[in-house]
Amino acid sequence: MDAAGKLRHWATVAVFVGPFLGMLILFQYVPVVAMLRDSLYDFSLLNPDRRSFVALGNYLTLLEDPDRQQAFLVTFVFAFGVVATVIPVSFAIAIYLNGRLPARAIVRTVVFLPVVTSVVVIATMWTFLLDPSNGLINNALATLGLPRGEYLTSKSQALPSIIVMMLWQQTGFATVLFLSGLQGIPRDLEDAARVDGCGPWQRVRFVVIPLLARTTVFVVVIMTVFSLQAFAPSLVMTGGGPEGTTNFVAYDIYALAFQLQMPGLASAVSVVFMVIVLTISLIQMRVLRAKGAE
Amino acid sequence: MLRLSTYAVAATLLSTAAFAGERGPPTAECPQGVLTLTVLKPLNNPPTPAVVKAWEGQNKCMRIELNEVPFAQLADKIAVLAAAANPPDIVMYDGPYTQSYAAAGILLALDPYLPAGVREDIVQPTLDEHTYQGKLYSPGTQQTSLALFYNADMLAPLGIQPPRDVDKAWTWDQAIDAMKKCQKGEGDNVTVWGLAPSRFGAGTPGFVYRDLLFVRSHGDPKAAPDSDLYKTYWALARDGRSAQGWINNAVAIGGAKYFADMFNVAKITPKAGIPNAFQDRKACFTIDVSYFVSGLTNNDPGFKWGVTPLPYVRTPIVHTGSITLGVMAKSKHPVEAAKFVIDVSTGQIAEDYARASRGLPTMKSITARISELKEYPLNIFVDQIERYGHPRPPSPNFAQYDKIVSDALRDIAYGSDAKTRLDTAARQAQPILQR
Repeated sequence: MDAAGKLRHWATVAVFVGPFLGMLILFQYVPVVAMLRDSLYDFSLLNPDRRSFVALGNYLTLLEDPDRQQAFLVTFVFAFGVVATVIPVSFAIAIYLNGRLPARAIVRTVVFLPVVTSVVVIATMWTFLLDPSNGLINNALATLGLPRGEYLTSKSQALPSIIVMMLWQQTGFATVLFLSGLQGIPRDLEDAARVDGCGPWQRVRFVVIPLLARTTVFVVVIMTVFSLQAFAPSLVMTGGGPEGTTNFVAYDIYALAFQLQMPGLASAVSVVFMVIVLTISLIQMRVLRAKGAE
Repeated sequence: MLRLSTYAVAATLLSTAAFAGERGPPTAECPQGVLTLTVLKPLNNPPTPAVVKAWEGQNKCMRIELNEVPFAQLADKIAVLAAAANPPDIVMYDGPYTQSYAAAGILLALDPYLPAGVREDIVQPTLDEHTYQGKLYSPGTQQTSLALFYNADMLAPLGIQPPRDVDKAWTWDQAIDAMKKCQKGEGDNVTVWGLAPSRFGAGTPGFVYRDLLFVRSHGDPKAAPDSDLYKTYWALARDGRSAQGWINNAVAIGGAKYFADMFNVAKITPKAGIPNAFQDRKACFTIDVSYFVSGLTNNDPGFKWGVTPLPYVRTPIVHTGSITLGVMAKSKHPVEAAKFVIDVSTGQIAEDYARASRGLPTMKSITARISELKEYPLNIFVDQIERYGHPRPPSPNFAQYDKIVSDALRDIAYGSDAKTRLDTAARQAQPILQR
């Protein structure tokens, strides 16, 4: 390629990649650098020019503050709860949808519908469903003669209630991922297992599950990241309560920065959270690559 | 992380957005050009177009440009715009935030622009709320207080006639007794609640404006300043710098338990919101502001209703305060912006607005001129404000106090231990208040 050709090549590259790169730097990396800097200061958003350098003071506060520790714990329990429920349920539905069973198209639509619905709409809807006095769920339980729940107003039931909501919302997406994985499994492998005398459960246990390992790890990574980013349920449904039992880290960051006017501490929490999420994602991706290589 | 980045970018974009007013080219009528002042205000709140039109009619060379945001986003928006190079000239903000904004240097003190006699004409709770370190930052556009509304058709068969005079206000024990009698159904099968759930804030229990009154009413402002009774009444150190011992002393904890018992023992009010519970006859009583009188008058709910002073436990008290107008310190047109704020808050325009909206003015002289404010039911709100109205605990960090205490009271209503939860709230608030 001559010099003019190289110039044209790089000009084309710049035209196509430049805008995206510029946006990426402006909207992703610059805020991250600003966040790192802000985490070393104590200031208020009302007057950010009046700031004092506290070095690692915000990080030390984070380590000693029981409210911040609770936010991290709650978030990880929530992520574990979502992953532990979404994976088996969506896998079972995917197996069902992959077969030649009645009402498959309807079930596929119904299962996927929550995925394309706004999370704020879903959170608002579930707030009404879970209303302890007039909610549909309690009314249904009462009709069946079963005891009512306190749900979002109970510190022992609030987090499980939100996990159930997330299960309802995210199952469709995970199901689609599993379904695509199932459809990639050669039919003759299952036929061979059937010839060897394997029943339905044994075919799932010894053929389908091992061959879906890569998809499974991918779904785990996606669901973990989605769960760790949870924000709307705290904002719309619980305000982080009762007693901080649904105070997810993303909401905690928002509350610290905008409601409690402590953006320095919020930035420190963000930095620590970012490192933790990146570490979890890297570990999961490493496992994914290892499984893929097998 | 992505979410925080989005906020940071939004803040960056907002900080560069042009909100500040500008002067147009000279005209025959306005040789210096028409000056446009920008106002940031919450949706469906004053200043109304009628108010703006009236002021522009008196000030031919000035125009008002209104920018509206949902009320729930107002504080965040002001916080972001405060750091911008070109913020709006005027903001309509929530009154209890005056000290926060003043301490941060966001608002302009209006004392140099106030005509003689205006300051003395402002009702005391408004002065208390909008004064910081001796300077007045807003004359207050309107006042509010809470009272107890009741469904007279439901109470009449029970022989219950709530008082109409603040001197004969019910105690909360009397009110709860009436609510129990009026409530239909119990346990899980309540069809009509004694007291409607809160419609303030997020629609959950605990909102300071309404529910901290249950605690403060257990206190006594005449008690010794180092006593629990005194501290409970004020709910925050008088300099706004300490909550420890003020919201979690023995009397305050007793008050919080009393509040929680309405949900968990007497069970006369639900823990979750029911939209329009009072208007839909799903509750016999509701606690609401003076504007609710207009709402019920203009949209007849189909039953007879009445208003009784807000009940009390040991000491009568109501919270005052409302949204109000202030001038941004960075405004390039402070004289004109201050004129707008003072004109629509204190003059004929304010009086016209008060008559049209049935709102409560902050100026004593305007209140005296509106006969409807001396008559039932609005006289109850006026009397309460004048006799025992207080702003929510003033502090340069009120917003943070508000969030922390509201969350604590919500959890206590849900069943959390009052002492543990209020101790936690005091621990959370203390370092913030002392910043």
